[in-house]
Amino acid sequence: MKAQTRARVLLAALYTGVGLGVLLIAALTRSFPPLMPWLPFALVVVYLEWRSFEINDHLISSPSIMAILAAAVAFGPETAALGVGVIALLAPFRPVDFRERRVVVPLVNLGQLVTSAVVAAFVLEPFLPANDEWSNWTVRDFGLAASGAALASLVYNAVNLGSVNLAVRVIYQQRNIRPWSRMGSMVPSSILLGFMGGLVGATYHVEPNVLPLVFGLLVVGYVGIGSYSKLRDAHEGTLRGFIKALEAKDLYTRGHTERVAYFAQLIGEELNYRGTALERLRWAALIHDVGKLAVPGELIRKRGRLDDREYEELQRHAHMVEDILAEVEFLRPMVQIASGHHSRYDGTGYGGTGHTAGEPPSQEACILAVADSFDAMTSTRSYRMALTQHYALQELRSHSGTQFAPEVVDALVRGLARTGERYGSPSMDSDVLARMVAEGRAGVEAHHG
Amino acid sequence: MAEISARDQLQPVLWAIGMVAIFFMSIGVTDYGIGGILVWATILAIGGLFEVPAKSGNRLSFAFAVAVAVPVVVGDSRGADLAAVYCVYSAGYLGGWVLARIGGKDGHDIDSAAIRNSLGAGLYAFTFDGLSASMQGWEPGPLVAFALAAVVWFVFEMGAWALTSYGRDRLSLSYLAILAFDDWPVSFSLYIVGALAGFSWSALGWWTLLVALPPFAFAYIAFQRTAEAQSTYDQTIRALSRIPEVAGLSPDGHSDRTAAMAVAIGQELGMTPHEIQDVEYASRMHDIGRITLNEPNILKAGFSEDDIARWGSEIISEAPYLSNVAALVRLQHQPYRRPGEQKDPNVPLAAKIIRASSAFDHAINEMGFSPLEALEVMHRGAAYDYDPDVVEAVRTVVDLGLVNTAPVR
Repeated sequence: MKAQTRARVLLAALYTGVGLGVLLIAALTRSFPPLMPWLPFALVVVYLEWRSFEINDHLISSPSIMAILAAAVAFGPETAALGVGVIALLAPFRPVDFRERRVVVPLVNLGQLVTSAVVAAFVLEPFLPANDEWSNWTVRDFGLAASGAALASLVYNAVNLGSVNLAVRVIYQQRNIRPWSRMGSMVPSSILLGFMGGLVGATYHVEPNVLPLVFGLLVVGYVGIGSYSKLRDAHEGTLRGFIKALEAKDLYTRGHTERVAYFAQLIGEELNYRGTALERLRWAALIHDVGKLAVPGELIRKRGRLDDREYEELQRHAHMVEDILAEVEFLRPMVQIASGHHSRYDGTGYGGTGHTAGEPPSQEACILAVADSFDAMTSTRSYRMALTQHYALQELRSHSGTQFAPEVVDALVRGLARTGERYGSPSMDSDVLARMVAEGRAGVEAHHG
Repeated sequence: MAEISARDQLQPVLWAIGMVAIFFMSIGVTDYGIGGILVWATILAIGGLFEVPAKSGNRLSFAFAVAVAVPVVVGDSRGADLAAVYCVYSAGYLGGWVLARIGGKDGHDIDSAAIRNSLGAGLYAFTFDGLSASMQGWEPGPLVAFALAAVVWFVFEMGAWALTSYGRDRLSLSYLAILAFDDWPVSFSLYIVGALAGFSWSALGWWTLLVALPPFAFAYIAFQRTAEAQSTYDQTIRALSRIPEVAGLSPDGHSDRTAAMAVAIGQELGMTPHEIQDVEYASRMHDIGRITLNEPNILKAGFSEDDIARWGSEIISEAPYLSNVAALVRLQHQPYRRPGEQKDPNVPLAAKIIRASSAFDHAINEMGFSPLEALEVMHRGAAYDYDPDVVEAVRTVVDLGLVNTAPVR
């Protein structure tokens, strides 16, 4: 712990040092822009930097880069580096950091923001006409400035991402982040944002009135994104809250839904689900047992085997989920998933009307089935102890191709290996023992979902 | 759908004749080329086909943005060429109206929107022209003139929308006004993108689009997603509140009907859109505590209405954003006033609305009463079981046929 704290302080010092060093170079070789265009740009960048929202499980690359590059183009080659460098110096100190007395993270942010902003401005410089040739920008100058800004934006993101990854490794001691995997997806958006920023900055030279309008538009967009992400949080919070109420009925499956949602997400990530698709998968997992609310509590908690009548009653909940959810437009694809989680890969087994007999269910449904069964096996139920992870994975593999989709089972194995997590009972390493514990179970399906 | 009177049918015809008249009067005055006028009018008409969803459920058309740009583009630093601008407006709005009619949407909406928008745009151009002429020579003058004129248009448009909706849907004016002004981010983004295009047009030409459209697209995506998330959320609440009904623990459709009645009463009593949302969610979920009746030992031990309200409120309070709703569900079964006691000042109006709405549906669909008999039940309970003001509102809502009171079976 002590060593980690020291590493963090060292890291903060290093980043701040590099940032200030780069800024010093800019200060010695360039001059500061006049206050009039500088101050409004500084305010806008700080505002954008202070408000970042998470959208669909991934942070959109912040539009502040657009404002920074617009500022750099507007300042001109002689003052750009120092101008944006000082702006970047102000941006990382958010009010929330002051309130919670955080020091290390803002300092690290400061270092990387200043470094990447100044470096980006240096990259941009050769593309801009000299400061005294401002009065007559041509279309060619526009194109050059915008292209230069696109390139600078790429450099900015590369520097930023590299230093963020280093910082995350040191601070959180997390080894399994893949440093450059996100760069690929960021390239188009950073080119676009840079290009737009360059154009906006160039426009400043011919019609300064345009600037407040562009930033006004960006701020409105941000307000919109803010209310969107608040609504999404409210939605997910409501779902989770109701699931909690559902699980209060059954001590033995407490946390089941959250775990299934987690496993589904793990598998989904391995199978390259992103953004809305991944979110939808998680919601489907959260909602997959809502039908249980409509099942008499004694049935859920019953020890021992269910008789035929009880089993039928239980199966009915797959259809009840549909009755409830089918009226909801957006849930319809999920309803198929939720009611499909008891259906088998080879097309037999009970499922809702969303799934036709003889046809393999959708991949989302397959993911839910695997996540559900894996958690059912690795957690303690009213009728048996938890099995080991090894046994559970083996069981999934042996039924893969019939009950479970092979690629989904593989994805789960890969996901668990990637995170290095282990589930299930740690004490029973021998498969024989596990098999003995599992005795009396007719296949994996009998876990009552 | 309200019946369309002869007057309503005459209005758009008179308006169209007016537009044609303005077009020919203006075209004689202006020396701006007919080609330019037709280009802008076409853009304006087509812009009307693209719509941005706003918070209130309104969809504001992109024609706003085009109309904002026109006086800035068609004119010079001294102000707009008003005659040419009116040519563009009259031709563009007329064309847009014809296109929308061909598109076959609700005719009444299209007519009133066309009348409202063309009047508002005319007012905007007039204000912008006067202001920018008076602020001539000052560098940010055009920007300030635009901002003030846009505010004038915004107030006119929202006020006019609230007034026309008031005449048709009979919702309270304050409710409609707040609803309309909640849409400011969308209106704001449309005004700004129009002004942006207008101001940079002379310097940038078509490059303007590259500067103006990406930030607008960003805002548009945000609005689109917000609208989607709102309907998603509403539908989820609806689905969850149906659980006790599907399980047979609560009458089928009771939550839907109670919510419809409660929302109508809330609007009748002039609640704000925000309060109405809470009333809607709480009335949908007022019986959610009945899920607990699934436990046989609870049925054996016995329970009261208060228990159900408590259980329901406990379930809802697990959702972090619904604490208002949980509080309403906790209180909604309280009577207005117990005999011999003062009324409890802590029970909010929303809770009383839910109680009355639920009881009204119970009387019709469980007791088999006619709407008139159900109203009689409410009147007998007024001042003890139910808030007299709420009972009065139930009566108005039923008399005007604002909700469906036909029994289900």
